[in-house]
Amino acid sequence: MKTSAVFSAVLSLLSLASTSSAHGHHHHHHKHSDSGTSSASVPPAFTPPQVFKNVNLVHIVSLEKNYVKESINVVIENIDKEAQSDYILPFTNEQLSRLGGLEVRDRKNAESGPFIVEPVKIELFGPNQYVRVRLPTPLAAGAQQTLGITYYLLSAYKPLPATIKQEEQQFLSYSFSAYCPSVYTTSKQKTEVKFASTNIPDYTKLPGSGDIKEFPQKQGSKLVYGPFDEKPAGALEPVQVRFEFNKPLIHVSHLERDIEISHWGGNVAFEERYDLEHRGANLSSLFNRVKWQQSQYYNPVTHALKEMKFPLRVGSADPYYTDVIGNVSTSRFRSNKREALLEIKPRYPLFGGWKYPFTIGWNSDAKNFLRKTATGGFVLNVPFLEGPKQAEGVEYEQVVVRLILPEGAENVKWTTGIPKSSISEAGVQIHKTFLDTIGRTALVIKGRNLVDDFRDRDLTVTYDYPLSAVLRKPIVVFSSAMTVFVSLWLLSLINLKFTPKK
Amino acid sequence: MRWLPALLSASLFAAGSFAAKKSSEERFAEFHAKQTSHAPVKLTDVSFKSLTTAPRDYSVAVILTALDARYGCQLCREFQPEWELLSKSWVKGDKSAESRLVFGSLDFGDGRETFMGFGLQTAPVLFFFPPTAGPHAAASPEPIRYDFTNGPVPAEMMHSWLVRHLDGRPHPPVKRPVDYLKWAVSFTMITGSLTGVYVLWPYVVPVIQNRNVWAAFTLIAILLFTSGHMFNQIRKVPYVANNPRGGVSYFAAGFQNQYGMETQVVAALYGILSFAAISLAVKVPRIADPRSQVITVWAWSGIILVVYSFLLSVFRVKNAGYPFYLPPFM
Amino acid sequence: MDQSVNDSEPLQQPAPPRGSTNHQITAIMSADSLERLAVAGKGDSTRTLLRVIILLLIAGAAISSRLFSVIRFESIIHEFDPWFNFRATKYLVANGFYKFWDWFDDRTWHPLGRVTGGTLYPGLMVTSGVIYHALRALSIPVDIRNVCVLLAPAFSGLTAYAAYLLTNEMTPSSSAGLLAAIFMGIAPGYISRSVAGSYDNEAIAIFLLVFTFYLWIKALKLGSMLWGALCALFYGYMVASWGGYAFITCLLPLHAFVLICMGRYSTRLYVSYTSWYALGTLASMQIPFVGFLPVKTSEHMPALGIFGFLQLLAFLDYVRSAIPSRQFQTFLWVFAGSVFGIGLTGLVIATSAGYIAPWGGRFYSLWDTGYAKIHIPIIASVSEHQPTAWPAFFFDLNMLIWLLPAGIYLCYQKLADEHVFVIVYALFGSYFAGVMVRLMLTLTPVVCVAAAIALSTILDTYLKAKSPIPEEHLVEEPTDGTSKKVSKPGLRASSKPYIGIYATFSKVTVAGAMTAYLLMFVAHCTWVTSNAYSSPSVVLASRMPDGSQHIIDDYREAYQWLRQNTKDDAKIMSWWDYGYQIGGMADRPTLVDNNTWNNTHIATVGKAMASREEVSYPIMRQHEVDYILVVFGGLLGYSGDDINKFLWMVRIAEGIWPDEVKEREFFTPRGEYRVDAGATDTMKNSLMYKMSYHNYNNLFPPGQAQDRVRGVRLPDDGGPVLNSIEEAFTSENWIIRIYKVKDLDNLGRDHASASAFERGQKKKKVIKKKGPRVLRVD
Repeated sequence: MKTSAVFSAVLSLLSLASTSSAHGHHHHHHKHSDSGTSSASVPPAFTPPQVFKNVNLVHIVSLEKNYVKESINVVIENIDKEAQSDYILPFTNEQLSRLGGLEVRDRKNAESGPFIVEPVKIELFGPNQYVRVRLPTPLAAGAQQTLGITYYLLSAYKPLPATIKQEEQQFLSYSFSAYCPSVYTTSKQKTEVKFASTNIPDYTKLPGSGDIKEFPQKQGSKLVYGPFDEKPAGALEPVQVRFEFNKPLIHVSHLERDIEISHWGGNVAFEERYDLEHRGANLSSLFNRVKWQQSQYYNPVTHALKEMKFPLRVGSADPYYTDVIGNVSTSRFRSNKREALLEIKPRYPLFGGWKYPFTIGWNSDAKNFLRKTATGGFVLNVPFLEGPKQAEGVEYEQVVVRLILPEGAENVKWTTGIPKSSISEAGVQIHKTFLDTIGRTALVIKGRNLVDDFRDRDLTVTYDYPLSAVLRKPIVVFSSAMTVFVSLWLLSLINLKFTPKK
Repeated sequence: MRWLPALLSASLFAAGSFAAKKSSEERFAEFHAKQTSHAPVKLTDVSFKSLTTAPRDYSVAVILTALDARYGCQLCREFQPEWELLSKSWVKGDKSAESRLVFGSLDFGDGRETFMGFGLQTAPVLFFFPPTAGPHAAASPEPIRYDFTNGPVPAEMMHSWLVRHLDGRPHPPVKRPVDYLKWAVSFTMITGSLTGVYVLWPYVVPVIQNRNVWAAFTLIAILLFTSGHMFNQIRKVPYVANNPRGGVSYFAAGFQNQYGMETQVVAALYGILSFAAISLAVKVPRIADPRSQVITVWAWSGIILVVYSFLLSVFRVKNAGYPFYLPPFM
Repeated sequence: MDQSVNDSEPLQQPAPPRGSTNHQITAIMSADSLERLAVAGKGDSTRTLLRVIILLLIAGAAISSRLFSVIRFESIIHEFDPWFNFRATKYLVANGFYKFWDWFDDRTWHPLGRVTGGTLYPGLMVTSGVIYHALRALSIPVDIRNVCVLLAPAFSGLTAYAAYLLTNEMTPSSSAGLLAAIFMGIAPGYISRSVAGSYDNEAIAIFLLVFTFYLWIKALKLGSMLWGALCALFYGYMVASWGGYAFITCLLPLHAFVLICMGRYSTRLYVSYTSWYALGTLASMQIPFVGFLPVKTSEHMPALGIFGFLQLLAFLDYVRSAIPSRQFQTFLWVFAGSVFGIGLTGLVIATSAGYIAPWGGRFYSLWDTGYAKIHIPIIASVSEHQPTAWPAFFFDLNMLIWLLPAGIYLCYQKLADEHVFVIVYALFGSYFAGVMVRLMLTLTPVVCVAAAIALSTILDTYLKAKSPIPEEHLVEEPTDGTSKKVSKPGLRASSKPYIGIYATFSKVTVAGAMTAYLLMFVAHCTWVTSNAYSSPSVVLASRMPDGSQHIIDDYREAYQWLRQNTKDDAKIMSWWDYGYQIGGMADRPTLVDNNTWNNTHIATVGKAMASREEVSYPIMRQHEVDYILVVFGGLLGYSGDDINKFLWMVRIAEGIWPDEVKEREFFTPRGEYRVDAGATDTMKNSLMYKMSYHNYNNLFPPGQAQDRVRGVRLPDDGGPVLNSIEEAFTSENWIIRIYKVKDLDNLGRDHASASAFERGQKKKKVIKKKGPRVLRVD
């Protein structure tokens, strides 16, 4: 009976695999027919073709912020007969769900834009996923090219110990591989780990090679593993580091950012709704106000989140800061020629595991963002992401940007500096609000796994706004008001009195 | 409070020494005899001690009170009749003394030491001494205390309180005696008034139908109510109070309270003001002589000004920081 | 219900009145200017136009004077009950009407729950729900919170209009109505319950009250069935909105009865009353919360009795008209009277026999004022059920309070049916207002009407442009015999013939004085509103040394903390005052709240608060309490805290467990209520005391710990020690303190020994740190 159950489970698994993988495969076919694995219903495991070799690789793991930034500079060489254009990057399934802002550029010429990066949609159950980097120009046999690969990993740390006292310091641990994961043979590589502080109580030690007897070497707030000699494809060397990070781990699980453009008011209204939580070490004993107040006299470095600073665009005005139960009075707004800085305090200091969802909003003059093109269309240029600028950094799991254009705006086109790989979906919807008849055009863009490094990346939207649409609202309002008055007048003519007949 | 029972028992030893010759049985017989003749038993220091000496196989309920007028214990005097009613009806209801409960009342005049012994600062206080021997013996001999924190209580409530401590014993209910005299009086009154009305009807009718009477009645009632008379009724505020500096203060400090006299003053002010308003509205335009009319107008306007300004100044006493005022009372 | 009394009410700090004054002044002034124009006698249409404009101005003034709280703080729901109404409204908007109608709320009164749909007056919620959906239909995306916040001011505009209509029925003077309207608009007595954010039943109920009365008068005057039906309709709406509908239910029959006694029975009365009663009762019975009360309880019996009596009278009247005979008439009247008497006695018997429910506690305590204090402490404990001291009257009505008797007197002049109504209303209104602070609300309308009548009479007299010629009056004065006869039924004051004011100077004097008083009245209203009635008691405002305003937001800080950082079904135990707020802001289940329907449950909480930990802990376990919330003002000097309300908890608990909780034991032998070193052991060991002062004196240098509300220094003994609960959160200014109920000890020890062990460990550690001095002989 048991076996049968298992069997059926396996069957269902397989069927699922076949269907979805078939779909995946199909999709994949469209993109490029040359990498023609057999179109059988159950595909074989995808094995990246060994056509490249990492001649020299430097892997920099930066743990300075509350997210991980990894950048890999690698010199690749085509060891195949003919020219190749697909460089494969391996990630674990679990990594991929937390991976964001993956960008690959050519190190040699910086001005060439980022390469096209897309996941290889074949492996479904395997622990590994592969991402294909498409080189703009296929690399000739034996030729070399230098790639700069950068990506971010969110919610990457584990606080250790998991619970600490209010006044204690917070330590985080992070584990990764000393050998940079690659599907190709790597002749020479080293891994640098950067920290925010020099206090690194423990880290995995590896036997050294050459004249270095032990890895890693500690250089101030930096650990260096390697250089290592040639490693085969897929070679891994798991290591773990534990380091002091006495700052809050700010994690925005969901951010909704509404940008509403009003041509009549000549105003752009921003509103951002944050679901913010502190992913750091929880309190081992419950919050003690006395200790907190006493500690506040000499303002120490603490892992509690006390304040956030939002540097807004200059010219931003009348900001507000609220949460579910109304206005929060603990905020300051400094605005002048040079800056417009919104400083907000949560209602209570935020400790590990505590949540604090809130909303902020502000207005700005439309001419700071909007301009008219020669052809009569409009070009809107707003930052894709604003939000707090914290020394410890901020990570965003999901970001939904809603750009609400005026009623009747047509053929909307958009581009953004945010890595394509982090845009999960985008589309145009209808948003009905103040006295709308057909509703406003709303461009909705969903991003995932972003970090505050992308604060300055722009979102550029072009659209047309014909005169008829401009005049619609006043006409509608006026006519409806008229109808009301007329009907009232007609009603007043009706006599409801019972008059006794003479 | 803790040292009380100790002191109590100490004082009881003294009493016990001479009360000891009487057994608890005899003592109960003696006091019960007393209370059958007249309940509650009027106690003194000595009798109180002997009554409450342990061991006792009966329970005692004693009211420690101060009825003498010079103590000015309003509550005591209010409660006393209820207490007597309760004890009488209890003793009547339980002739065979199955409940073995003695009602006593000890006045401060006769029981200073006892009051001292309990360290009482206030009166009245009711003590219930549970039996220390016999089937219903309580764990500790020390009395259960009832304070009249919620003002006077009717006999029924006191009865229920006693009942809670006397489980397993008969609880004769409180019987309020029918006051035949009152009935008779009220009956004769009613009949008399009815006949009177019947006889005087032609004379009564104009009074009933007289608007002035009704108007006066209504206005007075309204003035009373709007000047906080009900507050006085409910909170039983003093008429005037002595202020710390020895003098008499007619106006209670603070927005939330008031004195009896205060309200009467206010009612008078309101009355004058509205009467002035009425005269300006109704009387003055009916004055035929221009000179006197002008004079009355001035007079009334002046009165309104002065009285209203005084009212405001009074209100500023009540509500510090009330910014508005009128001459002359700035 | 509102919050408990606390023994020391805070006194409002004076602040310069600002904003929106000029509106009201303009309104008043224009009311005066209308007199002149009206007297000058323009065309009818001009007057109508003026009247409309002035009414609009008045409505504007009424609304704007209620916006202080929004301007000064924010658009926020105030105080206590409004938070429940707000929550209910959100539920209605989210789940639709029928779900709302049978809404069982399991997040209050844990573990009992509450049949909310059947135990509330839905009028308010439905009203704002309708408005909300209407606006949505016009695609105006308004937030439901703003609808709720601004509902009361909006309706106050309507109330002013209703007062205008009602007064116009009383007097021909066109100015009286407008004066009444502006009085109604800005009288603090009404503003107190209708500022923006005080989203309570009264917000719409007062409009309904006044308008129903207007319709009643209209129906009575015309003897019209249509108006009677309208009256019934709005009466139904009133019943759906506020428990105070009983006021109407008793006042209208009373009016009818008085009229009958005055021998003013008429078919008009018959038609209007019967149509109102029949339809109105049916309408009121549609509300689940009311159900069959109108035929079962004493409050409603007068209406029923008068209804029956009117039928009888109608019959007799018919007979009399058929058989005109003197004796027969007298016989009939005697008959009628006796029947009435018999009916009354029958009613009494039925009540005593229990067929008819006796007066409900809260209602009964209006008559027997001592009743509540002894029998229902929960009612006596509510601050708005206290009797009214005279300053409150003056504070809420200012000059109107002394214009009221004048107006009543004038009503006696031409004593028409409607005037009788005003007199009866004023009499009973003032009585009720005297007994219960909260009923100032029902008094205010009639005060405005009466005052307006008085004032308008004065102004009309003294603002007449043309003066009479002295001579003719002087000559006819002596030979004036007619007025004597005329005066027979009338008042003495008005016996002489009306002449008018001769001297312009006296006109100017009086008119000027009155205008001055009116302006002062406006200033007073503005001042009172801005200082006393515009603070949303959820947010406290304090003044910095430099005069700037500093917001103290501890309530919301703590509620938000609860909402975000406790599990969704964590049960919060607190005194009932905060139940609604916790439900509304923290969105967590509570044990008791301001809908104090279950005295025992409240007493249970009271007992838990008033007893020792060992007693309280089992109680809290039984009720699955996770967190306890107490309010403590000691640090800030915020007098509305739980220690000041503590005695009520004790009393209410004592009412149920007289042997376990004794109020006496919280007083020192000298009968003082103390929290310092001299406090009784019972006090010091009570959970409430411990929770309030736990860890408090660590905030001060040793021996300096001070309670700024009670103004006492606390004992320097390391403060109370808690074993079975632990501090979970304390707000910035310590106003809210939240404690977590510990789980049972895993080693099966009782909490006392467990935490004693903990402390022992700690001490040792400390000593180790200190170094060699470990020579302690234990």
